[in-house]
Amino acid sequence: MIDDRQIIERCLSGEKEAFRFLVERYQKQAVGHSLTILGNREDASDATQEAFVDAFQALKSFDAARRFYPWFYVLLRNRCFKLINKRRVAENIENAEILAPQSGVSNEERIALERALRELSKEEREIVTLKYLDGFSYDEIAGLLEIPRGTVMSRLFHARKNLQAKLTGKFH
Amino acid sequence: MENMNCEDFIIQKFALLDGENADISASEINAHFETCENCRREIEPLESASLLLQRQKRSEPQADLWTAIGKRIGAKSKAVFTVGWQPFAVVGALLVVYKLFEMIPERDLGWALKIVPFVIVAALFGFLKENPFKINTELIPEK
Repeated sequence: MIDDRQIIERCLSGEKEAFRFLVERYQKQAVGHSLTILGNREDASDATQEAFVDAFQALKSFDAARRFYPWFYVLLRNRCFKLINKRRVAENIENAEILAPQSGVSNEERIALERALRELSKEEREIVTLKYLDGFSYDEIAGLLEIPRGTVMSRLFHARKNLQAKLTGKFH
Repeated sequence: MENMNCEDFIIQKFALLDGENADISASEINAHFETCENCRREIEPLESASLLLQRQKRSEPQADLWTAIGKRIGAKSKAVFTVGWQPFAVVGALLVVYKLFEMIPERDLGWALKIVPFVIVAALFGFLKENPFKINTELIPEK
Protein backbone atom coordinates (compact mmCIF):
# COMPACT_ATOMS: atom_id res chain seq x y z
CA MET A 1 0.00 0.00 0.00
CA ILE A 2 1.30 3.41 -0.95
CA ASP A 3 2.21 5.38 2.18
CA ASP A 4 1.19 8.91 3.10
CA ARG A 5 4.62 10.38 2.46
CA GLN A 6 4.75 9.00 -1.09
CA ILE A 7 1.27 10.36 -1.76
CA ILE A 8 2.28 13.81 -0.51
CA GLU A 9 5.43 13.75 -2.64
CA ARG A 10 3.33 12.92 -5.69
CA CYS A 11 0.88 15.74 -4.91
CA LEU A 12 3.77 18.16 -4.50
CA SER A 13 5.21 17.07 -7.82
CA GLY A 14 1.97 18.20 -9.47
CA GLU A 15 -0.09 15.02 -9.47
CA LYS A 16 -3.18 16.39 -7.77
CA GLU A 17 -5.13 13.17 -8.31
CA ALA A 18 -2.89 11.38 -5.82
CA PHE A 19 -4.53 13.39 -3.05
CA ARG A 20 -7.50 11.10 -3.54
CA PHE A 21 -5.63 8.34 -1.67
CA LEU A 22 -5.33 10.54 1.42
CA VAL A 23 -8.97 11.62 1.24
CA GLU A 24 -10.19 8.05 0.91
CA ARG A 25 -7.87 6.81 3.63
CA TYR A 26 -8.89 9.35 6.27
CA GLN A 27 -12.33 10.72 5.37
CA LYS A 28 -14.33 8.35 7.60
CA GLN A 29 -12.11 8.97 10.59
CA ALA A 30 -12.18 12.71 9.94
CA VAL A 31 -15.96 12.87 9.61
CA GLY A 32 -16.21 10.88 12.86
CA HIS A 33 -13.98 13.42 14.61
CA SER A 34 -15.88 16.39 13.16
CA LEU A 35 -19.14 14.82 14.23
CA THR A 36 -17.92 14.66 17.82
CA ILE A 37 -17.31 18.40 17.76
CA LEU A 38 -20.19 19.56 15.57
CA GLY A 39 -22.83 16.96 16.29
CA ASN A 40 -24.35 17.18 12.85
CA ARG A 41 -23.52 14.86 9.97
CA GLU A 42 -23.94 17.44 7.24
CA ASP A 43 -21.82 20.03 9.03
CA ALA A 44 -19.24 17.34 9.79
CA SER A 45 -18.97 16.48 6.08
CA ASP A 46 -18.71 20.17 5.13
CA ALA A 47 -15.99 20.86 7.70
CA THR A 48 -14.05 17.76 6.65
CA GLN A 49 -14.25 18.73 3.00
CA GLU A 50 -13.01 22.24 3.76
CA ALA A 51 -10.20 20.83 5.90
CA PHE A 52 -9.02 18.52 3.11
CA VAL A 53 -8.94 21.46 0.70
CA ASP A 54 -6.96 23.45 3.32
CA ALA A 55 -4.61 20.50 3.72
CA PHE A 56 -4.03 20.24 -0.01
CA GLN A 57 -3.22 23.91 -0.22
CA ALA A 58 -0.88 23.69 2.78
CA LEU A 59 0.93 20.49 1.73
CA LYS A 60 4.10 22.45 0.98
CA SER A 61 4.39 23.32 4.65
CA PHE A 62 3.87 19.71 5.77
CA ASP A 63 6.84 18.40 7.72
CA ALA A 64 7.63 14.97 6.24
CA ALA A 65 8.92 13.80 9.62
CA ARG A 66 5.39 14.04 11.02
CA ARG A 67 2.44 11.76 10.46
CA PHE A 68 -0.25 13.15 8.17
CA TYR A 69 -3.36 12.71 10.30
CA PRO A 70 -2.26 14.60 13.45
CA TRP A 71 -1.20 17.50 11.20
CA PHE A 72 -4.50 17.32 9.34
CA TYR A 73 -6.48 17.14 12.60
CA VAL A 74 -5.35 20.65 13.54
CA LEU A 75 -6.78 21.95 10.25
CA LEU A 76 -9.94 19.90 10.69
CA ARG A 77 -10.49 21.24 14.18
CA ASN A 78 -10.01 24.81 13.01
CA ARG A 79 -12.61 24.25 10.31
CA CYS A 80 -15.06 22.79 12.84
CA PHE A 81 -14.70 25.77 15.16
CA LYS A 82 -14.99 28.21 12.27
CA LEU A 83 -18.24 26.54 11.27
CA ILE A 84 -19.51 26.72 14.83
CA ASN A 85 -18.81 30.45 14.92
CA LYS A 86 -20.36 30.98 11.53
CA ARG A 87 -23.50 28.91 11.90
CA ARG A 88 -23.79 28.75 15.68
CA VAL A 89 -24.26 24.99 15.50
CA ALA A 90 -22.27 24.36 18.67
CA GLU A 91 -24.45 22.58 21.16
CA ASN A 92 -27.09 21.14 18.88
CA ILE A 93 -25.98 17.54 18.94
CA GLU A 94 -29.06 15.58 19.98
CA ASN A 95 -28.92 13.32 16.95
CA ALA A 96 -25.18 12.77 16.69
CA GLU A 97 -24.01 9.18 16.72
CA ILE A 98 -20.63 9.38 18.36
CA LEU A 99 -20.34 5.70 19.28
CA ALA A 100 -20.67 2.75 16.94
CA PRO A 101 -22.69 -0.32 17.95
CA GLN A 102 -20.45 -3.32 18.48
CA SER A 103 -20.62 -6.83 19.80
CA GLY A 104 -19.78 -7.33 23.46
CA VAL A 105 -21.16 -3.93 24.45
CA SER A 106 -24.82 -3.61 25.41
CA ASN A 107 -26.96 -1.07 23.60
CA GLU A 108 -28.16 0.28 26.93
CA GLU A 109 -24.59 1.02 28.00
CA ARG A 110 -23.70 2.61 24.67
CA ILE A 111 -26.81 4.78 24.57
CA ALA A 112 -26.30 5.96 28.16
CA LEU A 113 -22.69 6.79 27.42
CA GLU A 114 -23.61 8.53 24.20
CA ARG A 115 -26.16 10.72 26.00
CA ALA A 116 -23.62 11.54 28.70
CA LEU A 117 -21.04 12.48 26.05
CA ARG A 118 -23.54 14.75 24.31
CA GLU A 119 -24.11 16.61 27.56
CA LEU A 120 -20.42 17.44 27.92
CA SER A 121 -19.01 20.63 26.46
CA LYS A 122 -17.51 20.18 22.99
CA GLU A 123 -13.99 20.62 24.41
CA GLU A 124 -14.55 17.94 27.05
CA ARG A 125 -16.21 15.60 24.58
CA GLU A 126 -13.33 16.06 22.18
CA ILE A 127 -10.53 15.41 24.65
CA VAL A 128 -12.14 12.45 26.36
CA THR A 129 -12.91 10.74 23.04
CA LEU A 130 -9.43 11.41 21.65
CA LYS A 131 -8.03 9.69 24.70
CA TYR A 132 -10.39 6.78 25.19
CA LEU A 133 -11.88 6.10 21.75
CA ASP A 134 -8.84 6.86 19.61
CA GLY A 135 -6.20 5.94 22.16
CA PHE A 136 -3.99 8.98 21.59
CA SER A 137 -1.31 9.58 24.21
CA TYR A 138 -1.20 12.78 26.30
CA ASP A 139 1.63 14.11 24.14
CA GLU A 140 -0.25 13.36 20.94
CA ILE A 141 -3.38 15.07 22.28
CA ALA A 142 -1.27 18.05 23.29
CA GLY A 143 -0.07 18.23 19.68
CA LEU A 144 -3.56 17.82 18.21
CA LEU A 145 -5.11 20.48 20.41
CA GLU A 146 -2.02 22.70 20.53
CA ILE A 147 -2.02 22.91 24.31
CA PRO A 148 0.59 21.92 26.95
CA ARG A 149 0.64 18.36 28.28
CA GLY A 150 -0.27 19.57 31.76
CA THR A 151 -3.41 21.19 30.38
CA VAL A 152 -4.33 17.91 28.67
CA MET A 153 -4.07 16.11 32.03
CA SER A 154 -6.12 18.71 33.83
CA ARG A 155 -8.81 18.91 31.11
CA LEU A 156 -9.07 15.16 31.02
CA PHE A 157 -9.62 15.08 34.77
CA HIS A 158 -12.51 17.54 34.56
CA ALA A 159 -13.97 15.82 31.49
CA ARG A 160 -13.90 12.45 33.27
CA LYS A 161 -15.45 13.95 36.34
CA ASN A 162 -18.29 15.51 34.37
CA LEU A 163 -18.78 12.37 32.33
CA GLN A 164 -19.03 10.31 35.48
CA ALA A 165 -21.53 12.75 36.97
CA LYS A 166 -23.70 12.56 33.84
CA LEU A 167 -23.44 8.77 33.81
CA THR A 168 -24.52 8.50 37.44
CA GLY A 169 -27.81 10.08 36.51
CA LYS A 170 -28.21 7.74 33.51
CA PHE A 171 -27.51 4.41 35.17
CA HIS A 172 -29.22 4.97 38.53
CA MET B 1 5.11 18.05 45.62
CA GLU B 2 4.48 20.06 48.79
CA ASN B 3 1.99 22.28 46.95
CA MET B 4 0.01 19.41 45.47
CA ASN B 5 -3.61 18.96 46.47
CA CYS B 6 -5.86 15.91 46.13
CA GLU B 7 -6.95 16.85 42.61
CA ASP B 8 -3.30 16.98 41.50
CA PHE B 9 -2.69 13.53 42.96
CA ILE B 10 -5.72 12.12 41.15
CA ILE B 11 -4.50 13.64 37.89
CA GLN B 12 -1.09 12.05 38.44
CA LYS B 13 -2.64 8.71 39.36
CA PHE B 14 -4.64 8.78 36.13
CA ALA B 15 -1.44 9.35 34.19
CA LEU B 16 -0.16 6.06 35.63
CA LEU B 17 -3.46 4.27 34.92
CA ASP B 18 -3.36 5.57 31.35
CA GLY B 19 0.15 4.17 30.91
CA GLU B 20 1.71 7.64 30.78
CA ASN B 21 4.60 9.18 32.68
CA ALA B 22 3.46 11.07 35.75
CA ASP B 23 5.17 14.26 36.92
CA ILE B 24 6.09 12.62 40.24
CA SER B 25 7.11 9.07 41.10
CA ALA B 26 4.59 6.25 41.36
CA SER B 27 5.63 5.58 44.95
CA GLU B 28 4.85 9.20 45.93
CA ILE B 29 1.44 8.95 44.27
CA ASN B 30 0.65 5.61 45.85
CA ALA B 31 1.80 6.81 49.27
CA HIS B 32 -0.72 9.63 49.08
CA PHE B 33 -3.52 7.25 48.07
CA GLU B 34 -2.71 4.94 50.97
CA THR B 35 -3.30 7.72 53.43
CA CYS B 36 -6.07 9.68 51.66
CA GLU B 37 -9.47 8.05 51.78
CA ASN B 38 -11.03 10.98 49.92
CA CYS B 39 -8.81 10.36 46.86
CA ARG B 40 -9.49 6.62 46.91
CA ARG B 41 -13.21 7.28 47.05
CA GLU B 42 -13.07 9.82 44.25
CA ILE B 43 -10.91 7.96 41.75
CA GLU B 44 -12.89 4.73 41.69
CA PRO B 45 -16.00 5.96 39.80
CA LEU B 46 -13.83 8.10 37.51
CA GLU B 47 -11.83 5.04 36.60
CA SER B 48 -14.94 3.01 35.84
CA ALA B 49 -16.28 5.79 33.59
CA SER B 50 -12.99 5.75 31.66
CA LEU B 51 -13.06 1.95 31.35
CA LEU B 52 -16.62 2.11 30.09
CA LEU B 53 -15.59 4.55 27.40
CA GLN B 54 -12.51 2.53 26.48
CA ARG B 55 -14.72 -0.41 25.53
CA GLN B 56 -16.54 1.68 22.93
CA LYS B 57 -15.69 2.36 19.33
CA ARG B 58 -16.02 5.68 17.57
CA SER B 59 -18.68 5.91 14.91
CA GLU B 60 -17.15 6.52 11.49
CA PRO B 61 -19.98 7.44 9.13
CA GLN B 62 -19.74 6.55 5.46
CA ALA B 63 -18.31 9.43 3.49
CA ASP B 64 -17.41 10.00 -0.13
CA LEU B 65 -15.85 13.41 -0.29
CA TRP B 66 -13.38 12.96 -3.13
CA THR B 67 -15.66 14.05 -5.97
CA ALA B 68 -16.25 17.45 -4.38
CA ILE B 69 -12.68 17.85 -3.12
CA GLY B 70 -11.20 16.73 -6.44
CA LYS B 71 -13.21 19.37 -8.28
CA ARG B 72 -12.15 22.08 -5.88
CA ILE B 73 -8.44 21.33 -6.10
CA GLY B 74 -8.63 20.89 -9.88
CA ALA B 75 -7.78 17.21 -9.95
CA LYS B 76 -8.69 14.90 -12.82
CA SER B 77 -11.15 12.16 -12.04
CA LYS B 78 -8.84 9.29 -11.24
CA ALA B 79 -5.49 8.69 -9.63
CA VAL B 80 -3.49 5.72 -10.80
CA PHE B 81 -0.66 4.14 -8.90
CA THR B 82 1.89 3.76 -11.67
CA VAL B 83 4.88 1.46 -11.64
CA GLY B 84 7.58 1.72 -14.27
CA TRP B 85 8.23 -1.08 -16.78
CA GLN B 86 11.60 -1.92 -15.21
CA PRO B 87 10.45 -4.35 -12.45
CA PHE B 88 8.41 -6.32 -14.99
CA ALA B 89 11.35 -6.43 -17.45
CA VAL B 90 13.64 -7.75 -14.71
CA VAL B 91 11.12 -10.44 -13.74
CA GLY B 92 10.63 -11.38 -17.40
CA ALA B 93 14.40 -11.70 -17.93
CA LEU B 94 14.76 -13.82 -14.80
CA LEU B 95 11.99 -16.14 -15.93
CA VAL B 96 13.60 -16.54 -19.37
CA VAL B 97 16.95 -17.37 -17.72
CA TYR B 98 15.17 -19.86 -15.51
CA LYS B 99 13.51 -21.53 -18.51
CA LEU B 100 16.83 -21.78 -20.37
CA PHE B 101 18.51 -23.22 -17.28
CA GLU B 102 15.69 -25.74 -16.94
CA MET B 103 16.16 -26.85 -20.54
CA ILE B 104 19.78 -27.91 -19.97
CA PRO B 105 19.76 -31.73 -19.88
CA GLU B 106 20.79 -33.52 -16.65
CA ARG B 107 20.29 -30.38 -14.60
CA ASP B 108 17.39 -31.56 -12.51
CA LEU B 109 17.74 -30.02 -9.05
CA GLY B 110 14.37 -31.40 -7.87
CA TRP B 111 11.69 -29.29 -6.17
CA ALA B 112 14.14 -26.54 -5.26
CA LEU B 113 14.41 -25.58 -8.93
CA LYS B 114 10.65 -25.81 -9.49
CA ILE B 115 9.80 -23.17 -6.89
CA VAL B 116 12.14 -20.57 -8.41
CA PRO B 117 9.44 -18.96 -10.66
CA PHE B 118 7.07 -18.69 -7.67
CA VAL B 119 9.77 -17.00 -5.62
CA ILE B 120 10.45 -14.54 -8.44
CA VAL B 121 6.76 -13.66 -8.83
CA ALA B 122 6.27 -13.40 -5.04
CA ALA B 123 9.27 -11.03 -4.92
CA LEU B 124 7.63 -8.89 -7.63
CA PHE B 125 4.39 -8.61 -5.65
CA GLY B 126 6.42 -7.87 -2.53
CA PHE B 127 8.20 -5.07 -4.37
CA LEU B 128 4.91 -3.66 -5.63
CA LYS B 129 3.44 -3.97 -2.12
CA GLU B 130 0.41 -5.63 -3.63
CA ASN B 131 -1.55 -8.65 -2.48
CA PRO B 132 -2.17 -10.92 -5.52
CA PHE B 133 -5.12 -12.56 -3.73
CA LYS B 134 -6.88 -9.30 -2.86
CA ILE B 135 -10.25 -8.84 -4.49
CA ASN B 136 -10.61 -5.33 -5.88
CA THR B 137 -13.98 -4.00 -4.74
CA GLU B 138 -13.36 -0.57 -6.20
CA LEU B 139 -13.67 -1.49 -9.87
CA ILE B 140 -15.57 1.04 -11.90
CA PRO B 141 -17.26 -0.11 -15.12
CA GLU B 142 -15.90 1.45 -18.31
CA LYS B 143 -18.24 3.93 -19.93
